Amino acid sequence: MVKFERAELFLRDLAGLSSEGQLSDALAEISREMGFHHFALTHHVDVRRSARTAIRLHNYPADWAQYYDENRLGLSDPVHRASHVTSVGFTWSQIPQLIALTRRDHDILARGVDQGIGDGFTVPAHVPGESNGSCSFANPVNWPIQSDDLPLAQLVGSFAFEAARRLWRLRSPGELTGEPLTDRQRECIIWVARGKTDWEISRILGISHETVIRHLKQARERYGVTKRTMLAVHALFDGSISFFDIFRR
Amino acid sequence: MVTIAERVRHPFESRALRAMFAARKQVFVDLLRWDVPVIDGRYEVDQYDDEHAHYIILTDDEGEHLGSARLLQTIRPHILDTLFPELCDISPPARPDALEITRFCLDRRLAASERLEIRNRLVSALVDHALASSIRTYCGVAELGWLQQILAFGWRCRPLGLPRRVDGKLLGAFAIDIAADTPALLEASGLYRPEPLQAARTPELV
Repeated sequence: MVKFERAELFLRDLAGLSSEGQLSDALAEISREMGFHHFALTHHVDVRRSARTAIRLHNYPADWAQYYDENRLGLSDPVHRASHVTSVGFTWSQIPQLIALTRRDHDILARGVDQGIGDGFTVPAHVPGESNGSCSFANPVNWPIQSDDLPLAQLVGSFAFEAARRLWRLRSPGELTGEPLTDRQRECIIWVARGKTDWEISRILGISHETVIRHLKQARERYGVTKRTMLAVHALFDGSISFFDIFRR
Repeated sequence: MVTIAERVRHPFESRALRAMFAARKQVFVDLLRWDVPVIDGRYEVDQYDDEHAHYIILTDDEGEHLGSARLLQTIRPHILDTLFPELCDISPPARPDALEITRFCLDRRLAASERLEIRNRLVSALVDHALASSIRTYCGVAELGWLQQILAFGWRCRPLGLPRRVDGKLLGAFAIDIAADTPALLEASGLYRPEPLQAARTPELV
């Protein structure tokens, strides 16, 4: 009961926020009360927009942040990858149950411990049509997570991410949605993802070879990429096409 | 087309209702594996589908189901008070002007981009229906993975309690407050799709 009252108080604070600094302060405060030393709220490397406009707020110690940046731990970070395969919060010690870890992943996690990064709890934030994100709460090594606070952390993470989206939208209006692909462009990209050539796609869709080339050229321009593989990856990443679109039939 | 069906006397009294109950079976039973009753092997109909339930049904030009939602009165037995009372740390709304959104259903045939569009139209119809019928609050139970989307609609959503794990799923209870400015909030999130709401003509029983 008391914990839920704390959540309500936090949500009231969120409603009145007008800057990222205030959001950061509110998150830092409630993280501490939930027994976490640090938080990090982030879009997982926003490939469509510059790093400048993607959401990233944290109060990690300088050496942790530097470690993540130096190792370019964006999408390849096992924590982020795990958050793409689940829609609810998980502790970092659960990651091996969520994704298959490579030797490099084990290395990354082990080196994180060397840097003093202990266990954490990550709340994934998936909004269809946008890059994935997450809100994590983390502790130094030897500070166990108080598991009875995790339902509260789950709520706080979800609402904080939405608050960040809202602030971000105020800062750069119109950027969140962007120009969508046309239906024909989407269809062509789905067949590209299935490995078809432009000529094959033209036969399948019953349109001319030139038209397919034009659709895919315009779609590549929309994402600012030159290769068809990157086009399919971008369209999947921002939700313009889904894995279901590719695998069905 | 958006149809609002109220005082439904028989679940199969119109084509839109039949299409909706069949789509619900495909989504909630076949896809999501919910343990809910099925009639004739084709229709998902439970004890809350009675004359007190309201339905919002989106159909295409041919009358095929696109998306739908069921609204239950909070002054009568509904999902939150009968099945999941433990999800509420504060008293959930129980008033004539508060309805519970249940069975939010997007047709399985839809591709990813169509799903988002139908979802937007359904959410817009829910808000417009609330404003036209003096509904001030919606409430509901949602899996936490779906919460981020519900929040991203931009309307005023608040939790009614801390999330809890029920049968392996993390569930939460939420309330959404609807006011005159709610359409503008959806608009600011880029998803408001207003369209006329048709009241279903209830055919006389023969």
